[in-house]
Amino acid sequence: MKDKLNSNRSRTFLAITIPIVILFFVFNTMAVIQGFGYSLTNFKGFGGYDFVGLRNYIDLFSDERIINSYIFTFGFAIICTILVNIISLVLALGLSSKIRAQGALRAIYFLPNILGGLVIGYVFNFFFTYILPGIGEAINSGALSNSLLASPKTAWFALVITVAWQAVALNTLIYISGLQTVPEDVYEAGAIDGAVGFKKFKNITFPLIMPFFTINMVLCMKNFLMVFDQVVSLTGGGPARSTESISFLIYSGGLSGGAFGYQSANAVIFFVVIVTISIFQLRFLNSKEEQL
Amino acid sequence: MASISIRNLNKTYPDGVEVIDGLNLEIKDKEFIVLVGPSGCGKSTTLRMIAGLEDITGGELAIGDRVVNDVQPKDRDIAMVFQNYALYPHMTVYKNMAFGLELKKVPKDEIDQKIKEAAKVLDLEKYLNRKPKALSGGQRQRVALGRAMVRNPAVFLLDEPLSNLDAKLRTQMRTEISKLHRKLQTTFVYVTHDQTEAMTMGDRIVVLKDGKIQQVDTPENLYNKPANIFVAGFIGSPQMNFINSKVTQEGSKYFIKIDGCTLEIPAGKNKNDILSKYAGKEVVVGIRPEDFHLDQAFIEMAPKSLIDVKIDLTEMMGAEVYCYGKIDDEAIIFRAPSRFRPKEQEEIVVAIDVNKIHLFDKETTESIII
Repeated sequence: MKDKLNSNRSRTFLAITIPIVILFFVFNTMAVIQGFGYSLTNFKGFGGYDFVGLRNYIDLFSDERIINSYIFTFGFAIICTILVNIISLVLALGLSSKIRAQGALRAIYFLPNILGGLVIGYVFNFFFTYILPGIGEAINSGALSNSLLASPKTAWFALVITVAWQAVALNTLIYISGLQTVPEDVYEAGAIDGAVGFKKFKNITFPLIMPFFTINMVLCMKNFLMVFDQVVSLTGGGPARSTESISFLIYSGGLSGGAFGYQSANAVIFFVVIVTISIFQLRFLNSKEEQL
Repeated sequence: MASISIRNLNKTYPDGVEVIDGLNLEIKDKEFIVLVGPSGCGKSTTLRMIAGLEDITGGELAIGDRVVNDVQPKDRDIAMVFQNYALYPHMTVYKNMAFGLELKKVPKDEIDQKIKEAAKVLDLEKYLNRKPKALSGGQRQRVALGRAMVRNPAVFLLDEPLSNLDAKLRTQMRTEISKLHRKLQTTFVYVTHDQTEAMTMGDRIVVLKDGKIQQVDTPENLYNKPANIFVAGFIGSPQMNFINSKVTQEGSKYFIKIDGCTLEIPAGKNKNDILSKYAGKEVVVGIRPEDFHLDQAFIEMAPKSLIDVKIDLTEMMGAEVYCYGKIDDEAIIFRAPSRFRPKEQEEIVVAIDVNKIHLFDKETTESIII
């Protein structure tokens, strides 16, 4: 009886697992292995190719365009991560306090998360190209009259605003759920001890939501390092390649730039970098988390 | 050290629900006062208003000579022990106790000394470097007490601090808290729904119901001289039996009838001839479970106060037996020595100690004679 039950269970288990494993292997693992294979060739994306060994990897480190895109992407990801976490923490604290229409406000602040990155990029493109300069002209502001997207000095900032606007939604939600895990009586004990205002946040709230901070930091850093949709729809990597993120470079250089093999090597390196950073972040932040 | 004055205290929530209605209470310096009552009676709300965790809708609250209605909790010179301990989960026991003092900028040496003293009293010295999750319920509650102690407050507020502990630990902690009160010589305000805790710990007990004080008195007086049916029923376990009856008068003597048995009310209980107002009227008779007697000597001595009881059920408690039965179709319970264990469905004769009976006004529920 027990054996039959076990065999039924294992059959169900296999029936559910095997298709997913096959799909994952074909569309993910195979692609990664194939990509790694191409990274050792001079494949242009079409036609024939030769095996070039580690040449692509060696060349990557002296390619100024790639180095610039790494510098841009890391700078962008760090600024965005800091900005998004500060804003969403403040918003979460506000939305968790005793305010009117709390549920409705939470829903409104979550809206950007359900929109696609491309859609948001095009909406903000319109905003930065027409609406903001229009306002700038109306108030005679020279700085605002030109589109932020037009200058290499300001385009990255427009990208930060667009990406952060969307990312704040999910981060806020995660922080709100974190804040709900802090027992009310701990705050009350704090109020009697004198932990009010910023002291309350620093000594009670923040240490107790540290696990949620870790998750948000890792998710943010990973997502922002891989920024792609908003670059495509907002700047196309420009002006003057000033907003060319690594993902965008891999895509544009690999598919339309005739350097599929070379950008595959870039993708492999990028994969290793992201995994390393995520593991480092998790280890470091976990050690800071209070074991409750 | 401080007294607490509560004058016409009122608490109404924004939705219009009034939980405390015109509460007046004077708590003396160094007194151990217990607020007791059923769930929702407003006892915790009152305590939280004293702590400053709940806004006061109306009335005045003074700790010592200072009205503290609008004073922040941290500036009220109070310390509170919560039902769920409310320890800071991310801090060690030491840090939990030190936190409040650090925020007050107390010198480190002084903090250290205070914590070590408190840890010694509460037997927590071994656990100072542990986090709350590594402690048992009793240890956590001691940390919560320690955190309150080191503040050296004028008033200790305790909100059902023992309700999460098992029965044995609860009894142990009960005596520890009483000892602590004696040692610290500070005003304690203790909230509980457990009348045993209230009776064993309080210098005085405040019985609350629906946001109103029913009686404030010593444990002994609450038990022996309850002000109304609610207090009589709430204090004492098993609770007092209530039987509907009628007062009859023959000359200067007054009687009550229970299940065909006419009991004479001792003249000494009829102070100021109060019963004259109740002659011919219905009243509620209150008899404590221990005021029924089964022993032959008592039965022979009180031939006029015997009553037949049919036993439904008995509960053996060890030293005594709780007997459940019926008089006049009203369920009653009485205590009997364990050697007298009656059989179920047996009809037995019991004697009522008329000197101990209580009479309550049926309409106002107030006590008539005690």
